[in-house]
Formats: sequence, structure tokens, C-alpha cells
Amino acid sequence: MDATQLLKGVLDVAVLAVVEDEDGYGYDVVRRLRAAGLEEVGDASVYGTLRRLYSAGALTSYVVPSEEGPHRKYYGITPQGRSMLEVQRKVWTEFSTTMNRLLQEGAA
Amino acid sequence: MSTSTIAPQIAQFARAVRDALSDLPEEERDELTEGLEADLTEAYAEDLANTLPDPVEYATELRTAAGLPMPAKGASWTHGMAEAWRYARRDVMRAVRSNPAAVHLLDFAGSLRPAWWVARAWVASWGVAALFGGEGGFLPTSTLFALVLLVFIVVSVQWGRGRWTFRGLAPLIVVGNVVAAVLIVPVVSIAQDWTRDVEYAYYDQGPGDLTGVYLNGEPVTNIFPYGSDGTLLRDVQLFDENGRPLATAVEGADGCIDPECAVTGQWAPRVTEDGLTSFNVFPMRMRPDDGGPVVDRVPPFKKVSPVVGKVSANND
Repeated sequence: MDATQLLKGVLDVAVLAVVEDEDGYGYDVVRRLRAAGLEEVGDASVYGTLRRLYSAGALTSYVVPSEEGPHRKYYGITPQGRSMLEVQRKVWTEFSTTMNRLLQEGAA
Repeated sequence: MSTSTIAPQIAQFARAVRDALSDLPEEERDELTEGLEADLTEAYAEDLANTLPDPVEYATELRTAAGLPMPAKGASWTHGMAEAWRYARRDVMRAVRSNPAAVHLLDFAGSLRPAWWVARAWVASWGVAALFGGEGGFLPTSTLFALVLLVFIVVSVQWGRGRWTFRGLAPLIVVGNVVAAVLIVPVVSIAQDWTRDVEYAYYDQGPGDLTGVYLNGEPVTNIFPYGSDGTLLRDVQLFDENGRPLATAVEGADGCIDPECAVTGQWAPRVTEDGLTSFNVFPMRMRPDDGGPVVDRVPPFKKVSPVVGKVSANND
């Protein structure tokens, strides 16, 4: 098992977390995740996740035209996304606490 | 969509990703890949050729992350072919990248791509021209086909640069490239022959042996001037309107002395007082090949009808 495998399960919440305060476009979100320490994250996975969260109603999206380059598609969190993030925060906190305890016991 | 600053590699890659998602509903695919060029441009700005991943794998990652289904396996044989081709190409590219010499060679070959874009446009325009007939050389001779060539070159180069693309263009370009690559050698060879034939035709009509004086296309070998009284004149010097000697023969030219051509000889020029050898003094005489003395040619008429009336010399 490596971090990439683990990441798959938590990419949704990670993506929601990095757009919670500020809207971002695809690569912008990738960069925030990598800056936060998730260096292995694949950009296509992030773009796909953004799209899926949008379909689920957790994100809004809008296109910002660029005069010189290609257009950028920005994503922002919706109220539904915020409540989803809150729920998943709790789930993650409980889960990670459980796992930490389990692994510490196992090591002991 | 503005495409002004998208690198061709990015545009090509994005196109390949969209192709790999072609089984999805168009709207879904467009939503999924909107802004892809912008993201890719930023993500792979530094070293395009070496860092762009395999577009099919990339599309799969995009698709699964978005929670969309994979295409039905073996949905069509063309899809299977396309997939096999992509994987083969990816394996080759990986092998090449692990070899520095091959990377340089590839890089060099890559810089020759614009030449190929022009070449394939030339082959295509040659094909069109040949189809409609009347053309077949290296360069078009008519304005129309020059225009066709120009348009083809512009389109071909734009496609090569990843511009002016549309859905389904990628396989079209692959097929077109193969056809052009197969045809280019025979076409060059035919064009070469054609150009040479045209040059020969030109030389055939050329002014090569048009020396002398012609009457209705037939060479004039001798001139017999008659005076106003109708009698044959001798040693008349003739010039054209520009003062050039009206010479029917050149040094060494030969011909028949008698009407039956039993005896042949060389035209015998006269010499003027200023020491010039003059081939414009008529009637010309001939020196027989057997070494005899210079002889007169038999005139066509002993005497012709005299001119009626007298013209006064009013020029002096």
C-alpha cells in the first residue's frame, strides 16, 4: 500500500478543502494540493474529481476567458459542498483517530 | 475558443485525450475537458515533449476520477486498432527517450516537420492538378493551381501546428501522411520526367536552326533579283529594314547545284571592297564539291515582265 492508493479515497475531501476559501481552476487546485504535501497527486485525477464534484452539486463552475491564452475553468464550493466537506471532515477525523490508535497499538 | 498561445504539442495531446473519450456523450466530454489546454499549458510549460504523459492513460485517469464508465471493451475494431497503435507508439517513445542519441535524432527529425508539412501539401496539390489534367511538373504553371498549392500549404502547416483542427481530423491526418509518404517518391519522379519533357518541347520549338531567310516557313536558299526592265540583275546586295545583311546561307553551308541534285557544292560568298565576306550578294553562286570553278545557279526565269511606268527617284 502506498500513499497514491490512500489518496484515491480522500481526494474528494482534499479537493473540497482547498477550494473552501478560494475558487480555483484545474491546475491551480493541483498546485494547492501539492503545496499542501500531496505531491503524488495526478493532475487528471484532480480534474476528473472536480468534474464529479460539480456533477454532484458540491461545486459550481465558470469559465474565465483569456485574451491571450486558452480559457480557464474555475470551480467554487457550493453550500452543498460545504456541508459535504463538514461531514467528511468528521468522518476523516474519526477514521484517522481510529487508525492512529490501531497502528500505535499494533506497534506497541 | 482562443487558441493563440497553445503549444502544438498541448493541442495535439488534448485532442488525443478527447479522442480517447469519444465514447462519452459530447456534452459530457466537453464538460470534462473544458479548460484542459489552459491547465496543461501551465502544468507542462517547461519540457513539453518529455513530460506529457500518454494521452490514453491520462484520459482513463480523468474518466475514472470523474466517475464515468470505461468504454465497452472491443466496442469496435477500429477502436481496438487505435488502442494498439497508441500503445505501440507509447512503447516506442519510451524506448527512444531512454536513449540520448535517439532523443537527439528525434529532436532533429522533429525540427524537420515543417518541411514535411509543405511536402505533403505539394503532393496533394500535385494530385489534384494531375486529376484535372494539364499539370504535372514540380511547380504549377497556371494561377489556379498555384493558388491550390498555396491554400494546401497553409492548411497543412496549420494542421501541423495543431490549429484549424476539428473532430476526426487526427485519423485523417494519419491516413493522409501515409498516402503522401508513399506517393512522394513516384510523384517526384513523374514531375521530373514531366519537367524534362516540357523543356524538350521548348527546345524543339526553339530558334536553334532558324538562321537564314524564310518564305512562309520554307527556307529560301537563293534570291534572284530582276530589274524594272525584267532582266536578271547580278551581284545585288540585300539588307533588311534594320541594315542587317539578308543572308540565306552561312559559311560552309552546302546545297544542290543542278535541279536533279547530281552535283552538290558549297555556297560561294562574295567579298566587298572593305574586305568583308558577304553572303548577301545575290544571286549566290556555288563552288562545286568536285573542285571546279564557281558556277552560277540556274535562274527560275530568264526574264520577267517589266514594271509599268517609271518612278522618279525623289529621295535624293
